[in-house]
Amino acid sequence: MSKNQQICNVADIPPNGMKSFKTEDGSKILVANFNDGYYAYSDACPHQGTCLGEGFYDGAVLTCHKHLWQWDITTGKPIGLAEAPLERYQVEVDGGKLFVKAASALRMAVLFADISEATKTRLERLTRRETFESGSILYDIGDTTDDLYILESGRVEFRFGRDDRTSAAGFILRKGEVFGWAALLEDQPLRIARAVCVEDSTLLRLNGEEAVELLSADPESGYRVMRQLNTLITTHLTSSGRQ
Amino acid sequence: MGSTAKIQVNARNRAYQFEGDCGEKILNLGLSNAIGLPYECGSGTCGTCKARLVSGDIADRWPEAPGRKYLKLKKGEFLMCQCTAESDIEIEVESFVHTMEAGACVPSALKGRIASAKLLVHDVMLLRVELERGVDFDAGQFMLIQFPEVVGFRGWSMVNYQRHAESLDFVVKKQPGGKLTEWMFSHECEGLDVELFGPLGDATFYSRLGKNILCIAGGSGIAGIMSILSRAQQDGYFSQYNGYVFFGVRTMKDAFFLDELSDFSDSGGDKLEVTIALSEEEAPSSAMADYPHLNFDKGFVHEVAGRRMADRYKDIRAYLAGPPPLVNGAIGMLLQARVTTDNIRYDKFS
Repeated sequence: MSKNQQICNVADIPPNGMKSFKTEDGSKILVANFNDGYYAYSDACPHQGTCLGEGFYDGAVLTCHKHLWQWDITTGKPIGLAEAPLERYQVEVDGGKLFVKAASALRMAVLFADISEATKTRLERLTRRETFESGSILYDIGDTTDDLYILESGRVEFRFGRDDRTSAAGFILRKGEVFGWAALLEDQPLRIARAVCVEDSTLLRLNGEEAVELLSADPESGYRVMRQLNTLITTHLTSSGRQ
Repeated sequence: MGSTAKIQVNARNRAYQFEGDCGEKILNLGLSNAIGLPYECGSGTCGTCKARLVSGDIADRWPEAPGRKYLKLKKGEFLMCQCTAESDIEIEVESFVHTMEAGACVPSALKGRIASAKLLVHDVMLLRVELERGVDFDAGQFMLIQFPEVVGFRGWSMVNYQRHAESLDFVVKKQPGGKLTEWMFSHECEGLDVELFGPLGDATFYSRLGKNILCIAGGSGIAGIMSILSRAQQDGYFSQYNGYVFFGVRTMKDAFFLDELSDFSDSGGDKLEVTIALSEEEAPSSAMADYPHLNFDKGFVHEVAGRRMADRYKDIRAYLAGPPPLVNGAIGMLLQARVTTDNIRYDKFS
């Protein structure tokens, strides 16, 4: 669904409340009101697909009732126990009617969630949208770490090792997930894993050097990206630290 | 049976390999190798342990498991808690998976014998299982238990708490239409051999927590809370921190463990407050006379807790146990009171 689609009227949403609606393709979208704004997300919890419309919403924070993952309703950013953002839709209100449209993968990426709007728009201009057939190798071990990738659709798997002696090293499948982030780091010139599309996939590609240069011009945004990058790396390396 | 299989789990962050008996559930094999695979009930209901078969053959030991409604069967999804490996297999789990933290009680298969089965009230029994070998568990954890007469494992929380426990106590509520519990309430259980797997569950209490604790339980959900209170008492926890316990039942006829709760309350002094919430009647004056250390109130237990806690949620860790409407109601109340989600722990019994 890339076109604007009317899914409800503004009056259908209780003040500082939320409601789920079915779209033309049968999927469900959750619409929430916060002060004067309306926000729309996929109704399926990114954890296990639980209906978020059955969860708790206090007028600012949405909580899935199954495992208490939480999100900021204005950004879809995970809070507390949540390990993934909500799948976001852009909202337009016209004459009391509410229209939604799928948000770009870059705008859903947690890595870039905290940066200024101006820098986000500039980053968006730097991205190249490319599609790959299932089986395509995006990069291999030892390749240079030139680009960073953001998944729009499909699925990418990582493998360590060479030839037939390889082992699985994780995978990504959610829109807005970023990989190949070594492109943002210093002294990490070579890929340490192979990235393969295991389904037909659409990716946003962003040159690491260009992104770092752009972020240098907006150090506050750059600092926020690096903070998120640290969190991302830590999530891959350690346990959640719950006790 | 008897043969072993190699299992590879591809998680979001990395892959894990382990070997195990073909007759063992895939979930249990992973957990007993200290790999923190996702699960919640461990007994086929919640769907949390779903995985996708990439290659190899598996056998589904309970094709009617209610948790199968969460699966996309066409994609090859299955419940790790109900399936066994028939050959070397490669499977995929959508979540991040980490190895268990050092010091965690790694679950394993155990054998035991029912030493006693006593009725607590008309539809609830206290079961004591003596184990072939001692086991460590954390207060608030549960075990999966299978009786030879009725196929399938059920999850029950431990009531007692000690390190290297050689016997475990469980609370069993008679479930209308529940095959196992109906069988148990109409047969002699003492002396039966049972199989166990555990300990499981992360709604656990440690004395190093260093927070006030709030426990809200309904019916047989009190079991795990008793274990938590037992550990807290052993460690003198209530000399420093407050404890608020709310135990909900329908009427006085359904209430049990009142003597034990009264003893906890007595030994916990001013810092431990125990309230019995009766949903269908006012507490008779005889109850209040018999149990001067307990409070009695009328209403659903989470509503009673909400009323009595008022503004005492500072530095609190909440433990919830009972039927889903109770747990959901209590979660809603705690979120409204601004208790953060990492301080809300629960097991939903369904």
